[in-house]
Amino acid sequence: MIEQGSIAPFSGTPLLRVEGVRKRFGGVNALRGVSLEVRSGEVHALLGENGAGKSTLIKILSGVHVHDGGSIEIDGKPVSFSSPARSRDAGVAVVYQDLSLVESLSVADNLLLGREPKTRLGFLKKRQLVAQAEAFLKSQNIPLDARAMVGSLPFAYRQMTEIAKALMGDVRLLILDEPTSALTDDEEKILFEAIRAVAARGVGVIYVTHRLNEVFRISNRVTVFRDGQNAGTFVTAQTNMRQLVGAIVGQDHAVLKADGAVSGQGMTPSVVFSEKPVLELKGVSNDRLDGASLELRAGEIHGLAGLIGSGRTEILQTIFGLRPAQSGEVSLDGVSLKATDPAAVIGLGIALVPEDRHVQGLVLEHSIERNLTLPRLPYFSRLGWLQRGPASVHANAAMRRLAVKAPSALTLVKNLSGGNQQKVVFGKWNEPRPRVLLLDEPTVGVDVGAREEIYGVIRAAAAAGSGVLLVSSDLSELLQLCDRISIVVDGRITRTTMRPDFGSAEDLHHLIQISQPSEEHAA
Amino acid sequence: MTDTQNPAKAAASQPGGRSALRYLLQGERPYMLYVAFAIMLIVFSLASPWFLSIDNFLNIGRQTTLVSIIAVGMTFVIISRQIDLSVASTLALSGMSASLAMAFVANNWVVGAVAGLGTGALIGLLNGVLTTRLEIPSFLVTLGTLSGARGLALMVTNTKPVIITNEYYFAIFGEGSVLGIPAPILWTLGVTIAGILLLHYSVYGRRVYAAGGNPTAALYSGVHIKQVTTLAFVLTGTLAGLASLILSARSHAARPDVVQGMELDVIASVILGGCSLFGGRGFVLGTLLGSLIIGTLNNGLVLLGVSSSLQLVIKGAIIVAAVAFTRR
Repeated sequence: MIEQGSIAPFSGTPLLRVEGVRKRFGGVNALRGVSLEVRSGEVHALLGENGAGKSTLIKILSGVHVHDGGSIEIDGKPVSFSSPARSRDAGVAVVYQDLSLVESLSVADNLLLGREPKTRLGFLKKRQLVAQAEAFLKSQNIPLDARAMVGSLPFAYRQMTEIAKALMGDVRLLILDEPTSALTDDEEKILFEAIRAVAARGVGVIYVTHRLNEVFRISNRVTVFRDGQNAGTFVTAQTNMRQLVGAIVGQDHAVLKADGAVSGQGMTPSVVFSEKPVLELKGVSNDRLDGASLELRAGEIHGLAGLIGSGRTEILQTIFGLRPAQSGEVSLDGVSLKATDPAAVIGLGIALVPEDRHVQGLVLEHSIERNLTLPRLPYFSRLGWLQRGPASVHANAAMRRLAVKAPSALTLVKNLSGGNQQKVVFGKWNEPRPRVLLLDEPTVGVDVGAREEIYGVIRAAAAAGSGVLLVSSDLSELLQLCDRISIVVDGRITRTTMRPDFGSAEDLHHLIQISQPSEEHAA
Repeated sequence: MTDTQNPAKAAASQPGGRSALRYLLQGERPYMLYVAFAIMLIVFSLASPWFLSIDNFLNIGRQTTLVSIIAVGMTFVIISRQIDLSVASTLALSGMSASLAMAFVANNWVVGAVAGLGTGALIGLLNGVLTTRLEIPSFLVTLGTLSGARGLALMVTNTKPVIITNEYYFAIFGEGSVLGIPAPILWTLGVTIAGILLLHYSVYGRRVYAAGGNPTAALYSGVHIKQVTTLAFVLTGTLAGLASLILSARSHAARPDVVQGMELDVIASVILGGCSLFGGRGFVLGTLLGSLIIGTLNNGLVLLGVSSSLQLVIKGAIIVAAVAFTRR
């Protein structure tokens, strides 16, 4: 194992030692001898692009797959898990990205699902159930209300419920698979504290993520995988963003040459955008918006920053005709937009890349071609009959342009990686160019390489004259892409700044925080 | 859905433009259906000397006509993530409507056909509108129309059958034949081909798949889900109307109490044919095969002299087993 930087003196056996583990799937070498060492009480970040082997290793540790070669030791004893139950018995718990909670039940119900305390006649002992759950949460220092309904909780607390559920029983090693992909900074802070509390009790934590800045905030050490091999293990305090990105993508990769991409300091505004707004909101109000006003110019990338629940997504949804505006006016090219359904709005040249690509953006069971052509079926048809030729030509062209990595246009979308799925969502709106492109968290769950490619697509759209409205919780993303950034608070735009006045991500974060009304409504 | 698909295999099995034909032949759960059908044919052929004959196969075709025709519409409904329980009642009411129109308006087969198809379409429209505009689950809406339409059918003549006397009507929908193929079978073929074209080659069909595969993504992509879904119900209702014409032409009368419970055979055919009840998957040819399997099963069991009560039990068991098997 390549170890860079010195490590705090450590003796004795690590909690987990993975040594030269190999795994093949058919002709694909998913793991070509990876190593990883996790000590008890440590938060160990695991980084790498999609396909680098992170998921495969996690699946081996959780007993979904069995490794072909190499060794895995827990507390110095060699193990091999033939089933998830065996892995669980050895004290390994995994929290996956997609939450597995019953939203209509309380936190306590979820924690004790399947092992509820009950009377001899099979009736539920409700009071004991809540008490048991509360005692457990307290013992773990997890700030959760056991009686709260999971469906009503903010995402961070659901995530925390999931972690608490994973910790039920005797857990030695906790694996978190991209736990923060949908969290705001504040929620992330809450979650991180919970993770630290867990580690402080001597549990080893493996933290898988795509977000580099998180690594610095939460981990003690970080291991990077690339192409199924180790690309380095670092002590977090002794490394930096540049070194990690270098390890993730390989030193010769183009990402490093574009300096702004790594440091978060943006490129200069390349486009002198027109003065006439292509899209304008004047005092738009409805159930979630409260007099939102906004101007979007052609060729501009306009960011919407704010907390989750501030109304950023709802602004996009209102423009897109998914939410009716009760008062105020949305106008496109100076003409008032009366359309109240997406089909009509799309017809006017407005496109939306929605927040949740699985739920809102894609039909996962269908092919790339079907997904790409869905919004524009009439273009590929004559008298209602599909013309397969043009549709297939369009799909293949879009795949080439966006560098979608897939065997063919007929590959099912569910078999693609997150980054490639997101490219397909972009491809739905790429040709012909929309007048207005609405983007809602366009790079969530997308790896570093694909993220840069998506940034390129966004910049190209703006350069070609589309007005781009970008919602993102990733502040460095906003800083890197936007010409202007507006702060959204409680369904209103409270402030808009131009690129020269942006400052750093910290400044922007501060700006969002001081814009909040004084009463904090935490969960 | 639990089936995992190997990406490499999926790509290999769909090279380029010929995939449409392949899709029609195989659907998404290839072979199992054909194997099941073949096994059944072999078993019945060995067990009964009367089974393996052209006459008997024409017989099966005629017997399955009603289910097959309605099941084509039901394929659209189920792919768009809905269900229609009212088809048997719709058939009964449409038949009464057609026969009464010929008895009281004009004894012309066109009048009967328009009345029958129109009634079916109207009930379909009602199902679709209630489901999409009032957002009542289609299971409940069509449970309501199942009861309501049957009640109306029984009410209009106070449960008495209506005799039909129009010879053209009999010829076109029931007793005529072209090149020795009976009219009901020709209707089945026509509807199946139209269904294949509409579902697999038209923009509308593509939207049905999207609306059922992921309604939210379809909405965000500008698909008018409500219209798409409503049209699927209208299609099914209209085909139930067509089935009523075929049935009443065969029996020279429309009866208000016919085909009770047939919706189950229709839905079973569609599911057996490879449609997912969760929407987004299925194909018309599979549905036809599903309906033929159920029809052949009925026919074979009768020829073997199995009591009608036991037939029901066997049929139920085989349908569940076949679906479980093809789901792998």
